[in-house]
Amino acid sequence: MTVALHNWPYMLGAIAGMTVTTLMTRGSFFMLPESVKLPERMEHALRFAPACALTAILVPGVFTKNQHLFFSWHNNQMWALLVGSVVFAKTRNMLAMMGVGMAVFTALRLWT
Amino acid sequence: MSVLGVAIGVWGLVTGVAMVKGGIPIPVALVMTFTAFAGSAQLAVLPLLALKTPLPVVWVTALLVNVRFAILSAASRDFFTRFPFHQRLFAAYLNGDIGSAVFLRRYGRSPERGTDEQIGYFFGLATVNWLSWQASSVAGFFLGGLAPTRWGLELAALLALGAVLIPMLNRFPAVVGVVVTAVLSVATVRIPFHLGILISVLFGVAFAVVFDSVRNNRPSARWPAGRVSDLMLTEVKEA
Repeated sequence: MTVALHNWPYMLGAIAGMTVTTLMTRGSFFMLPESVKLPERMEHALRFAPACALTAILVPGVFTKNQHLFFSWHNNQMWALLVGSVVFAKTRNMLAMMGVGMAVFTALRLWT
Repeated sequence: MSVLGVAIGVWGLVTGVAMVKGGIPIPVALVMTFTAFAGSAQLAVLPLLALKTPLPVVWVTALLVNVRFAILSAASRDFFTRFPFHQRLFAAYLNGDIGSAVFLRRYGRSPERGTDEQIGYFFGLATVNWLSWQASSVAGFFLGGLAPTRWGLELAALLALGAVLIPMLNRFPAVVGVVVTAVLSVATVRIPFHLGILISVLFGVAFAVVFDSVRNNRPSARWPAGRVSDLMLTEVKEA
């Protein structure tokens, strides 16, 4: 199944596209002449895109297992995320969130 | 700045481990980290690549995940407009989210834009970020094989994404968009090629925009603001 990952032309194609999108987005407004403005509606939507994009990666990563909803007391990742989020809300510290989250996950994994 | 370097280092390490754990050969991973240099996009496309998803879907997914950079780029545009093309391109390559957020927190409100001090600070910060990211990613490639899967290290990467996400939830429409996206992203998880990501993001954004437009007709009722969050959302409005 992971043959694709060893397929150089495929992987280089993917990487080329990723590099272009990184430069396109990070440089988007740097590269445009100053006169160019985005349509207001698009700018509006742009403001919510990052949060939604991160959610679409994060939530299935934590709440699904083998492509099925995994919402249960036994979902250790869920507890890790929950406790980690509370810690982050209090401290605004990414490292604290990662540390506490992983500690919760590991503790549950070993002792339940 | 040192806390920042450590945070980026941990994130880079986790990303590096996740990439080799996901099956990417080390030479390919090296090319990817030095060219694409976009952690969350690298993590997002990983499962797609393993399934040999058609390249356009891979690219669009990377684009969607990276779209937030456009917002940061809009916020710091004035600082760079006087520079030649190749320097702006180089700044663009380095303009990742954490570094960019820190830069804007310091200079986002200064009336003078593009002074030597500001540009020096930008490139100094960006260099530290770049070095700590690349060093830790490469370390992750070589150490990745040593960490047993049951340690669940990929969770650390998800937690790091969570730490970027939470400050963005400072306005009610954003929360609406995120909830809609969350529900749909789980509901659509079996759609092939991870197209569910696209679908759920599009619907989430649409709900947030509609909700915001409706709300904007009423006198301002703001969701309590966080700290970094102000950068992500309000700076852009002013830019």
